[in-house]
Amino acid sequence: MEWLTEFPAMDKTALRELKKAIDGGFRAWTREHGDTVEAIFEPIKQMLIWSEKFLLNTPWPIILGGIVLIAWFASRSWKITLMTLITMVLIGYFDMWDNTMRTISIMLVSTFVSIVLGLPIGIAMSKSDKLQSLVTPVLDVMQTMPGFVYLIPVVMLLGIGKVPGLLAVVIYAIPPIIRLTNLGIRMVDKEVLEAADAFGSSPWQRLKNVQIPLAMPTIMAGINQTIMMALALVVIASMIGVKGLGQPVLQAIANQYFTLGMFNGLAIVGVAIIFDRVSQAYGKRLQSHSETVHGK
Amino acid sequence: MLKKRYLAGAVAVAGLMAGQNAVAAEECGDITIASMNWASAELIAEIDKMILSEGYGCNAELIAGDTMPTFTSMNEKGEPDLAPELWVNAVREPLDAAVAEGEMIIAAEILSDGGEEGWWIPKYVADANPDIKTPADALARPDLFPAPEDDSLGAVHNCPSGWNCQITTGNLFKAYGGEEKGFELVDTGSSAGLDGSIAKAYEREEGWLGYYWSPTAILGRYEMVKLDMGEHDKEQWDTCTAVLDCADPQVNGWAKSEVFSVVTDDFAEKAGVAMDYISTRSWENTTVNTLLAWMSDNQATGEEAALHFLENYEDVWGAWVSEDAMASVKAAL
Repeated sequence: MEWLTEFPAMDKTALRELKKAIDGGFRAWTREHGDTVEAIFEPIKQMLIWSEKFLLNTPWPIILGGIVLIAWFASRSWKITLMTLITMVLIGYFDMWDNTMRTISIMLVSTFVSIVLGLPIGIAMSKSDKLQSLVTPVLDVMQTMPGFVYLIPVVMLLGIGKVPGLLAVVIYAIPPIIRLTNLGIRMVDKEVLEAADAFGSSPWQRLKNVQIPLAMPTIMAGINQTIMMALALVVIASMIGVKGLGQPVLQAIANQYFTLGMFNGLAIVGVAIIFDRVSQAYGKRLQSHSETVHGK
Repeated sequence: MLKKRYLAGAVAVAGLMAGQNAVAAEECGDITIASMNWASAELIAEIDKMILSEGYGCNAELIAGDTMPTFTSMNEKGEPDLAPELWVNAVREPLDAAVAEGEMIIAAEILSDGGEEGWWIPKYVADANPDIKTPADALARPDLFPAPEDDSLGAVHNCPSGWNCQITTGNLFKAYGGEEKGFELVDTGSSAGLDGSIAKAYEREEGWLGYYWSPTAILGRYEMVKLDMGEHDKEQWDTCTAVLDCADPQVNGWAKSEVFSVVTDDFAEKAGVAMDYISTRSWENTTVNTLLAWMSDNQATGEEAALHFLENYEDVWGAWVSEDAMASVKAAL
């Protein structure tokens, strides 16, 4: 009856040999190609370093003013703008300004990379059902695979620090923008497209002037989700040496510093709420624009 | 009549018990061994189990544990009987008290080198630059240990966030004037991050400088050289080196962590024959590191590693056991 209670698993030695072979193969591969891979990521590394230096070295009143202005122009809501100001002032007052800047820096670059990569993929998916059925399962894997599983090989390849951190964040945060770009473009009315065709627009004009603008509110919702997920991964990223608000959280966990953990956790929440409300309000404004165009 | 029978029974029972005791002194009873939740302790626990069972005829069983809970249970309840690898710094005072009361016995210093902490560099860097012996020597050469994000700086890889060694390494970095010498202190975030940074450097033969400790699998797989951290000054250590934001840290060395086998007084009674073994066996960190590296390279369990050790390191364990025990262990293999 053993075959009933014990699953007929692969032979232990064979299984171990298999794992060893894969590990060994990967190690040999990193030795061989590590430098090339590192060179490919060099521009992103420079961008990360530059954006962090920019946010850290610019005097804080300018950064604060900039954030408040962006909040105002994106949302046109004095409530959101005031909330942004108060949150940032509190973060600064409780001595978390530098770490918050580091976190915002990696979040902005990750979001930028996600948009640059995600938008074209989402558009391509909306054009082809075949591609959609291929990419969707890949996105599922990216969103559910536990972070550390792919961080081990990434750290072997690229070392610790910003670039592997960015990779971890992008892998986790890019799916929503791809999914929602795809969805948004697919949801554009057939009649509108027919009208565009009737006016003799080329496929590129149709995409640029009709589909993307009409899909914009959905795409913005995707960007909003991407930003939220990027912030959610701050603590994981700090486990491979990314500086920012995640590090004090890790310290707090290891030492049971309740207050330290709470402060930095709340700072992450504060930044998240700012970016969430501002980008949502911006998306809503876009929607109301398009509705006026539609309706009247 | 009844009384007499009862008495006779009691005598018989007492006789039986006495007999059993006599047998136990020569043979060996049921003993429990603490298998701590880190690799080196798990390994020695498995080896003890095999040698005690096969060599001394004990009925040995492993119990999973961690330093504090296991020690408390040994102290209060006398169980498990044997903690093969106990890092005594964590339990110094209660252990001394228990030893004074005769409830516990400190046996062999299982790690003869003790737990070693310090700043390490890869062996190939040490070989190419034989003049680098101390952290000060290493910090004079930022070009040899480039920082991951800024090639113009050198890097000292710090201990993971929140560990006590993060504070000590930070203070020592300050004491050596690392920043003025063109170095930055890199926070590795987690032990996975720290291990990963060493693995990456080693696979590509790049420079690496930072905190690590022994015995560990990493140091078995990647040969590293510990820099001479200097003498340990306990007072300075307690008042400054180990204190966050100490104003004026001085150069200081880590104390060697003492690691002993500890047994309960019960064990000495039940497994008297094995006391010699428990009081003599001791191994060096290089041996442990190599075994741990074998273990992780082969993704082996502690039991498999213990077998590997008994099969291949006879010169090490042969010196620990009596000739009879050695013969029976070899027969069992």
